[in-house]
Amino acid sequence: MSSKENLNTNLKVCTKCIYDERVASIIFDENGVCNYCHQISELQQKYGTGEEKGEQKFLEIVKEIKKAGKGKKYDCIVGVSGGTDSSYMLYLSKKWGLRPLAVHYDNTWNSAIATENIRKVLDALDVDLFTHVVDNKESDDIFKSFFYADVAEIEAATDLALAEVMYRAAWKYKVKYVLEGHSFITEGITPIGRNYFDGKYIQSIHKKFGKIPMNSYPLMTFSKFLFWSMFAKIKKIRPFWYIDYNKEEAKAFLEKEYAWKYYGGHHLENRMTAFFHGIYAPQKFKSDFRNNTLSALARNGKLSREEAWKEYNTPPKVEKDLLSYFKKRLELSDEEYERVMKEKPKSWYAYPTYKKRFELLRPLFKILAETNLVPMSFYLKYCFPVDNKKK
Amino acid sequence: MLRTRIIPCLLLKNESLVKTVKFKEYNYIGDPVNTVRIFNELEVDELMFLDIFASKENRDINFKIIREIANECFMPLGYGGNIKSLDDAKRIFEIGFEKVIINSNSFNNLKLIEKISKYFGSQSIIGSVDIKKSFWGGQKIYSHHGRIKQKDNAVTWAKKLEDSGVGELLITSIDREGSWSGYDIDLIESINKVVQVPIIANGGCGSVQHIEEVVKKANVSACAVGSLVVYQKKGMGVLVNFPCRKDKLLDK
Amino acid sequence: MITIVDYGMGNLGSVKNMFKFIGVKSTIESDPDKIKSASKILLPGVGSFDTAMEKINKNNLKEVLDEKALKERVPVLGICLGMQLLTKSSDEGSLDGLGWIPAKTISFKDRVSKKYRVPHMGWNVVNKSNESLLTQGFDEFDETRFYFVHSYFVQVEDEKNSILKTDYGINFDSAIQKDNIYGAQFHPEKSHKFGMKLFKNFAKI
Repeated sequence: MSSKENLNTNLKVCTKCIYDERVASIIFDENGVCNYCHQISELQQKYGTGEEKGEQKFLEIVKEIKKAGKGKKYDCIVGVSGGTDSSYMLYLSKKWGLRPLAVHYDNTWNSAIATENIRKVLDALDVDLFTHVVDNKESDDIFKSFFYADVAEIEAATDLALAEVMYRAAWKYKVKYVLEGHSFITEGITPIGRNYFDGKYIQSIHKKFGKIPMNSYPLMTFSKFLFWSMFAKIKKIRPFWYIDYNKEEAKAFLEKEYAWKYYGGHHLENRMTAFFHGIYAPQKFKSDFRNNTLSALARNGKLSREEAWKEYNTPPKVEKDLLSYFKKRLELSDEEYERVMKEKPKSWYAYPTYKKRFELLRPLFKILAETNLVPMSFYLKYCFPVDNKKK
Repeated sequence: MLRTRIIPCLLLKNESLVKTVKFKEYNYIGDPVNTVRIFNELEVDELMFLDIFASKENRDINFKIIREIANECFMPLGYGGNIKSLDDAKRIFEIGFEKVIINSNSFNNLKLIEKISKYFGSQSIIGSVDIKKSFWGGQKIYSHHGRIKQKDNAVTWAKKLEDSGVGELLITSIDREGSWSGYDIDLIESINKVVQVPIIANGGCGSVQHIEEVVKKANVSACAVGSLVVYQKKGMGVLVNFPCRKDKLLDK
Repeated sequence: MITIVDYGMGNLGSVKNMFKFIGVKSTIESDPDKIKSASKILLPGVGSFDTAMEKINKNNLKEVLDEKALKERVPVLGICLGMQLLTKSSDEGSLDGLGWIPAKTISFKDRVSKKYRVPHMGWNVVNKSNESLLTQGFDEFDETRFYFVHSYFVQVEDEKNSILKTDYGINFDSAIQKDNIYGAQFHPEKSHKFGMKLFKNFAKI
């Protein structure tokens, strides 16, 4: 099995998925299989994904969730975006007999498809919604700071805010469990060294380039993180690490049952996400996170490696007017936008973060990960030093 | 059949959308233009935008935001917030809005309404009145976003506005705002008895049933909605939505 | 390319906006010389009949429009007041209309019962009275509605010229057509998907 022949490229590409040599911290074994594929096999083994072992483990967890939630209005939190994973997760949580509270972080760039999807699924399942809306001016100021910082993680503020808001909702309603729709089978694990973020990272970039103080933005500082995981003891569970999850079937189900709409591509229910995946990452960073999902599909045999590689090398589809919306909202002239886009990309090492602290506290986070107080993927990604400094 | 119009009434505070309860407690709803985009995709009948602090702070009209909103919308739009002159109205119409909503500035200047009505037609002006029940039970008018009490009572003032040439009346119950408990039907009826112009009920709508109720009992032409279209349900999170037409018949 | 006539009255921005959204090229022109070379004309209008006709009668604009509509027979669409101007006369004013379609513009007052408030304002349903290129594809909607705001309505002399009818105390002509000349009483530019369909049809004529 020669990777070079199949894909028509000079790059060394994993023989099982389509991560190529450009991916940070990638190592190929003697069969040309990359360390990320190995990592996923190991996780699959550990969690018993899709097997009897995994299902059993998960049923235990469901039992615990129900027990811990007795007498309370809700027994678990499900973060929602209007996308496939979270919408399907809500359906499953009701199916398992849980009483979920849906939680949404609104960065004010949502598309109508997202809000309608959330509404339809919640209405049909009779689930309540908790939202935190950030002030649109603050939101734009943070996005603009990241844009000027020349780093890839323009979405970091949204991702971290959702995590913080889910914790806050859990705290408010005395809920001990947060269910997340992440699946390393369908999405892969984002390579270490790529797409890093934490509260200090966001804070330092905002401090340097921002103009509006953070008031309504829910920043997760280190102490907050420790508070939620060690003091409030709120557990993060990822059901799709244990049980089978077929994204295509999930989509079809949602469309049929709830008139839910697929918005095309990964995460395109929010215009900032669409900008990131469709324009920002491919054009400024010559990188494309689609290889996460495409690799996962190749790894699982849902797509041939040729098809996956072909799609990866085709420019992503972009909504008409998306770029002009981005510029208008962040008040960037065409010249200013071009200027910043041409600047040399920086990586996250250029700004202060908590990374060293996470590495120093590895033993602590190992224990927290084993007890689901922090996600295992967090432990694997954040608590180990990154050796590939060349980016 | 002419349908009852259901009009989301969106409140602008500086450059953000907010929602209030009894004209207090400002909760963030989101970015004005992005929210309007969503309503546009949901094909709402009509939209009203009120810059709630403009008169109170005597600020200039934010034409920039209004223009951005008009560029996103393919349904009728109304704007209210410190409109002081015929020129203001002209500019707003040129930008692409259909109606101007005048509240605080009408109290010392009914002539403004006469002027705009004469020049652009009565269908271009909505006279807006905010009412709070006084301690003794009477309906008192408050202008400048609930701050300044006015002499006239609601019914007399409504008549004066009609005589000055407004094409519609927006009647808002401050007490009911944000309460999800239904419109103040008595208040609306009392005004409907004495005026001929169409009335838009506002303040308190919590369900489509409330809309059906006020249309049946007080014969209003339109219902303004606030909390109903920006929250998932009472007490829960922000979620922009618009009551689905299919299952609710709102024809007169 | 659709030429939107700017004679000083009408919501031109919104019309141009909707054309832009559906990918149709349009231009706003007030100079009669420029309008002379138009291949398709849109006549907007918000306000009163006489004021509009006064403005059109000035500057040679009427002559140019007559030439384009009646001699060259380019497609013309009049909306709201623009449609009323296509008729012979209106109760609202004393001046003659363009008279391109045999019809009259009549006041709602005293023609409909008191329960129908004037102006007719809001979303109302339209029904096909005769086939037309302007209304193609309306059957894909369960119900076709548009946003109306007017105090006067149009009644055609020859039923052949009616293409849409609407009920508001009286069954009036909400859209009319005579050969290359079309009129719509409602505001397509404010009627989202319904207006877009109509504008798309007009662009294709």
